Amino acid sequence: MANTNFQQKLQKVAGKISSNRYLKAVSDGLMSVVAVLIIGAFSTLLSGMAFDPYQDFITNIGIKDFLEIPAQYTTEMVALYAVFFIAFKLAGSFEKEGSSAGLIALMSFLVLTPTTMLEQDPVLPFQFLGAQGLFVAIIVGLVSARLYVLIVNKGITIKMPAGVPPTVSKTFIGLVPAIIIVVFFTIISFLFTFTPFGNMHEFVYSFIQAPMQNLGGGFWSLIAFTLVVHGLWLLGIHGMLVVLPIYLSIWMPLGVENLDALAAGEELPNIVNTGFAHVFMMLGGSGATLGLAIIMAFWARSKRYKTLGKIALPGSIFGINEPLIFGLPIVLNPYLAIPFVAAPIASVTIPYFLMSTGIISKVAGAHLPLGTPAFFNAVVQGGFVLLIVQILMIIVTGLIYYPFFRVLDRQAVEQEKSAE
Amino acid sequence: MKNILLVCAAGMSTSMLVDKMKKAAEAKDEEIKIEASSGGDIKSHIEEADVLLLGPQVSYLQEDYTKQYGGDNGIPVEVIDSLDYGTMNGEKVLNWALDLISNA
Repeated sequence: MANTNFQQKLQKVAGKISSNRYLKAVSDGLMSVVAVLIIGAFSTLLSGMAFDPYQDFITNIGIKDFLEIPAQYTTEMVALYAVFFIAFKLAGSFEKEGSSAGLIALMSFLVLTPTTMLEQDPVLPFQFLGAQGLFVAIIVGLVSARLYVLIVNKGITIKMPAGVPPTVSKTFIGLVPAIIIVVFFTIISFLFTFTPFGNMHEFVYSFIQAPMQNLGGGFWSLIAFTLVVHGLWLLGIHGMLVVLPIYLSIWMPLGVENLDALAAGEELPNIVNTGFAHVFMMLGGSGATLGLAIIMAFWARSKRYKTLGKIALPGSIFGINEPLIFGLPIVLNPYLAIPFVAAPIASVTIPYFLMSTGIISKVAGAHLPLGTPAFFNAVVQGGFVLLIVQILMIIVTGLIYYPFFRVLDRQAVEQEKSAE
Repeated sequence: MKNILLVCAAGMSTSMLVDKMKKAAEAKDEEIKIEASSGGDIKSHIEEADVLLLGPQVSYLQEDYTKQYGGDNGIPVEVIDSLDYGTMNGEKVLNWALDLISNA
């Protein structure tokens, strides 16, 4: 009884987190820019692929510079897109017009961004428009959209004298929130010039974003994250959905940093990022169940599990494994709880150490959309070496599941025999 | 016409079940529309829905959705049985959904 009570409480908490409008605005807003990131990732991968004959070829025919253009205006400016969509989504959740809120957020973000002087001309450096500006984008997106909703709800507005045509006064009413919010952020921007940081970006990056990324990009965070996601799943809660705001706001910028480094021809800084999680932790879906699906589809003795394996295998290649999670089931099933946690732990730990010791190179860090198939994602993130490691992890996770699955399979065979 | 709306996290695994349900629906005499959606775009589909079914992985949303769309004037908001969901038993889920609509 205590158990179900605990489970219900946890379900409530999970529900609260995943439906919290601020966290949801962050994850929905960041999800909205995935298209931008993918264009940028492919641009970087195509121009930076470390294969000498290919590099000679694209340099000689003169298309290398063209291949680099999309990355410059996508991944390296991702904070600009993100701030708009985070505000857009938050205002939308209050049933207010998202595009006005997004536009105001974008202005506010730029007001906070420092320019430098190049000879006589002011220039806007890319430094804080990309990954390094993402936390400010999150903060500004949420704060400005919340202020927008507040101002619109309070009905703060400019009183027009009688006789002014309604269309004209409407235009001014729409301007009020924009003026208040942009002035507010301009004052903040101005106040930061008196601090040693000089601007808000420098402050947020060095005091919030960098420490959180250092913490979140480490080995133990990777393990803790894996445990939380899969622990929640075992209780029937979509673990990934609950932790999505953290996953996206910490691990996505880490991947963008890798792509930036790749574009600049530097060494990749981060082992852990959303690309890594996609290739190894979610190998076949939560629980790294691709190996299990293969075992079931080809080697299960019972009809029941063989059929289920065949249903589950195609989806598993694309990272969709609900048929296994609910059909086996894995949820609330003591037989499979251990491998369901152990398999993804193994699947992230082994590649982590292969990368930290420099035996294989780190993943490129592209944030690929949900449903990008296994094998293909490994090739995109790290070529054929990574593909081999991924296949190795399918075997390792399969071996972890096998003894536990065999117990269930034997029981099912006996049940089927006695039913005949 | 009867309208069934399914919701899961990203609308992906649910769309597999929807395919199976559509196949089962072809055998019926009445016209049945079945759609999958993710939690995010539920608003654009909910207007015409006669029943709202949740994937078992988002069962914790039931309370919230019942408040918003269910209740006395609303539509039935139910969680799909997890084994039916996992084995993608489209026919069973379809018949259950139709029962929910006729009993509403």
